[in-house]
Amino acid sequence: MSDHVKTIDQAQFESEVLASPQPVLLDFFSTECAPCEALAPKYDALAEQYAGRARFLKIFRQGSRELATKLGVSGSPTVLFFKGGKEVGSRFSGDIKRSELKAAIEAVLA
Amino acid sequence: METTHDVVIVGGGPAGLAAAIYAARARLRTLVLDESVPGGQVKTTHKVSNYPGFPEDIKGTELAAAFAKQAERFGTKVRRAVEITDMDLRADVKRFVLDDEDTVTAPVAIVATGARPRHLGLEGEARFRGAGISYCATCDGAYFEGKDIHVIGGGNSAVEESLFLTQFARTVTIVHQFDQFQAEASTAEEALHNPKIKVLWSHEPRGFHGEKTLETLVVENVKTHERRMLSTDGVFIFIGMVPQTELLKGVVPLDKWGYVETADDMSTPVPGLYVAGDVRAKKFRQITTAVADGTIAALAAQKYVRERH
Repeated sequence: MSDHVKTIDQAQFESEVLASPQPVLLDFFSTECAPCEALAPKYDALAEQYAGRARFLKIFRQGSRELATKLGVSGSPTVLFFKGGKEVGSRFSGDIKRSELKAAIEAVLA
Repeated sequence: METTHDVVIVGGGPAGLAAAIYAARARLRTLVLDESVPGGQVKTTHKVSNYPGFPEDIKGTELAAAFAKQAERFGTKVRRAVEITDMDLRADVKRFVLDDEDTVTAPVAIVATGARPRHLGLEGEARFRGAGISYCATCDGAYFEGKDIHVIGGGNSAVEESLFLTQFARTVTIVHQFDQFQAEASTAEEALHNPKIKVLWSHEPRGFHGEKTLETLVVENVKTHERRMLSTDGVFIFIGMVPQTELLKGVVPLDKWGYVETADDMSTPVPGLYVAGDVRAKKFRQITTAVADGTIAALAAQKYVRERH
């Protein structure tokens, strides 16, 4: 995994996501999930590309059940965007293209 | 960066990887492009019981990885998670631009892009994807531990994935439009005897509702037209597939269902362009038939490369 992607647990959600001064992408992932595996290299590449402008975080579904329920996430991968302590934009789930994720990041940064 | 190959295979499912094994063993410089990780639909199938050579059930992820490993063993290069951002399939030398960065060329392209899960196209379906609606049991099953969920469909995938989902869910209710399953008899029987599985025969879904996440599934009895609201924790949809022909529109003929028509040797009217696997117009779509298509395409492609010019 890229140095620019950080894995957090649900206890860190407030400090790492909501309190972040930069926009945040949060990826819920699972094991035995082919679309999660497919997203990983694209997520890493984008994390590198947007280093310093947006934070790329990952959270493992297992062990973050309460947070997943609270956010209404029931599929992996699901990528959520946060800005200024609030969820913004729309979510991506399932097979995610690099180009559509990139366009969404640009929209959040704009 | 630009690289040259003898064969570029688009899609790393069973058809594409079988083609890659044959092409690479024929010493053709073979490149496989996949927008995901290799394996196609097999990689999200929880178990495979009908692929010859595996007397015990094999996990789809393991079979998919084995296909890719075998192709790579003979020198196939597999590019994972790439997006084709531009291409020319009609030219004598086929050209693909990947992620707006790299260009790859080859005299032969084998398109084995397969099919993706069909969506119902109902109200709320897109909105609740990942928030109660799923098309992948192996990916999302564990989110529904102890929950009461629904499965839409009644073919092999729907029934097999329902059985898989009983590992997690408290109950699985299959909503099927007909009054019997279309799945293989042995699978259907197993489901009918599973105490966690219930079946709502002769019903079709009509819509999905909820506040933040999916809460209600609307179904209609196809005989009486009576509609009911069912509360649900999640819905898995397995109602067949649609061919992924985005790359091929206007390049090769499609049948009325959108599948690609090829000759028996997988060739198309475009010289050097072959099409194999589930994306092809044919009667049966199985791992075994995809592998057969891939084999034929690679053998035909070898002949084409050798005789070219």
